[in-house]
Amino acid sequence: MQTQNTFSWINSLFPDLSSIQPLGQGGQKLVFSATHPTEGDVVLKIIHPFQDPEGVRREILAVQQIASSRVPKILAVGRVDTPMGSCIWIREQRIMGITLRERLQNGPLPIDELLKFGIQMLESLSAAEDEHIVHRDVKPENIIVDHLGNYWLIDFGIARNLSMSPLTPLTLPFGKFTLGYAPLEQIRNVQSEIDARADLFAFGVTFFECATGVQPFIDGAASQFEILRRLENNLIPPLHLGCEAANSLTDLVSSLTQRRRDHRPSNVGDALVWMKDILKAQTKA
Amino acid sequence: MELYLQFGYGMMALCRELVEEWEGGTVILSPRDLTSDQCQRLSNSIRSLPNGKVLFDPQFYLPHADHERLVAHDFWPKAYSTGGFFGGPELAKLMSDLKALNDELGTDQAVLPGLLAQEVTDDWLATQAAVLEEAQAVSFGRPLCQTIALSAEACRMETQVEHLLEHAENFKADSYYLVVQHPKGNYLVDDPAWLSNLVDIIAGLKLNGGKVIVGYSNHQMIVAAIAKADAIASGTWMNVRSFPPEKFQLSYQEEIRQRAIWYYCPRALSEYKLPFLDIAKRVGVLDMLAPTVMDPRVANLFGGEQPSTVGLSEGAAFRYYLSSLKLQVDESLKGSFEDTISAHEILLTEAETILASLRSRGIRGQMRDFTEIVDVNRAAIAATIATRGPILRHQWHAL
Repeated sequence: MQTQNTFSWINSLFPDLSSIQPLGQGGQKLVFSATHPTEGDVVLKIIHPFQDPEGVRREILAVQQIASSRVPKILAVGRVDTPMGSCIWIREQRIMGITLRERLQNGPLPIDELLKFGIQMLESLSAAEDEHIVHRDVKPENIIVDHLGNYWLIDFGIARNLSMSPLTPLTLPFGKFTLGYAPLEQIRNVQSEIDARADLFAFGVTFFECATGVQPFIDGAASQFEILRRLENNLIPPLHLGCEAANSLTDLVSSLTQRRRDHRPSNVGDALVWMKDILKAQTKA
Repeated sequence: MELYLQFGYGMMALCRELVEEWEGGTVILSPRDLTSDQCQRLSNSIRSLPNGKVLFDPQFYLPHADHERLVAHDFWPKAYSTGGFFGGPELAKLMSDLKALNDELGTDQAVLPGLLAQEVTDDWLATQAAVLEEAQAVSFGRPLCQTIALSAEACRMETQVEHLLEHAENFKADSYYLVVQHPKGNYLVDDPAWLSNLVDIIAGLKLNGGKVIVGYSNHQMIVAAIAKADAIASGTWMNVRSFPPEKFQLSYQEEIRQRAIWYYCPRALSEYKLPFLDIAKRVGVLDMLAPTVMDPRVANLFGGEQPSTVGLSEGAAFRYYLSSLKLQVDESLKGSFEDTISAHEILLTEAETILASLRSRGIRGQMRDFTEIVDVNRAAIAATIATRGPILRHQWHAL
């Protein structure tokens, strides 16, 4: 938890912001909510000085490139001297809502919400794919549900632009990932095999969790090794949703979460069309 | 799915007769078994028939092949060096010669040369890319059909199949001619990994937007329909119903020296030597071996005489096999993935039931008996449902 002293240097360094409150602190950054006189509610991120500036620059570039209405916009970027050292700061649009993780504590999403979630997330990922950007960390913690029930994809901290050389050394046995959501090719740091289909896998797992409330690889696993073993050996079980779309959604999720990426849809656009077809059929029913 | 005729030894008259009888069909010409003049004559003959089409397989699987008839063809390179061929003028000349040959033969599409991959390596993939690139540069004026020739081991290793399919996303041929060696040289393949991977390759290529022809097939490959293959190709002798790469070498022992007449029972997916039909008659189960719709070529076998004495000729047995297979192939593809799977499961269940009855009475197909193969095909179906099923179900009509 941040102390009042921490806020005081933040307040003095960002005099144009008011109501600065801590939102969270990760290994890579401090995150605050604040109010800007013209931009309204914003998020202020202060990146730890030990973070690779090239990685931060790419994160910023990635978000700026994606033409999605449901990826929070970066409003301003700068550098500031802080008690932690010289830090990059990012001010971005604040989405008022809760994380999908928090939402799922109230149970799975009903079918209408589920389909809306599916369409909106795939639209955001498709916009990223258009710019050759792979998010690489799609999971409920990185999705916000706003007050209108729209889904926002956040935190491009480990995103990768496929047209740029990778920052993670190829010699590392493991890449950056969240176990239980990342596909095997990402876990094994096979850079040449990481493309938008890695996001499709993570989205498929997240979608299953939204539909059932169960994380199929993590729930009940005794250790990280068991999660890995499940990823290597298990297929996601069928969805039992009691609705017209259940079989079609089972097919789509099964296809998205195939262990081999060549067994998944070849791109996000195809998956989005598939999801829209399901929505259409469900709406008719 | 269609049945193409895979040309092999002594098939000239048979091809013409069957294409005529079927009111159309495609013959894959084999330079190993035909001289240049024979190729031209057969092509002319087939194409003169309604809906008759030909393809020419350059059979460049083993560039060091020394089969006399094959290497006597004008297109066959006079010298081949492993290192430079695919990056030099020799490839351009081969392509130019093949284009001229395809023009002369009036082929429906141009089958491109493809080396047999003992292993799916980056070097092999590079040769595939070089061939396609050169073919595109030559401009064949007809669809390009890329040969994908794999060893049995390459096909049974999932990592290699995955490697192939990852790169196949960059292949941009109009169609693919898939030629895969059978494990251990077996006629019917008892390795479920091999068959599952083969179906997976077909599905991957189809989903990538190409048409797929599976060469050197027998009735076990009816299962290719579940991945919506466009055609399988089969012929008379075993060496055109499975792919033995060694047949392109001079030292190959021709199968016709060990000839025997086999009767195909479509419902049992098995073939039987005629003396076993004699036993079937004696123990009262001959009718189980009869085709659902009687074919005049084999009607005498079921006419009351001892089957082995009615004079079923080798040629009639071949024609009957291919016509029966054609009926099964025609029926193998349904309007949906689900219906296609159901049709195959019914086919296997019926075969299993008949085979059990026949075996209990001592009727065996020996090396062409499907009893041990039923579960291999079932495994391939199950694997396809689990991995490719969702997307095939969704895209079935678009494939």
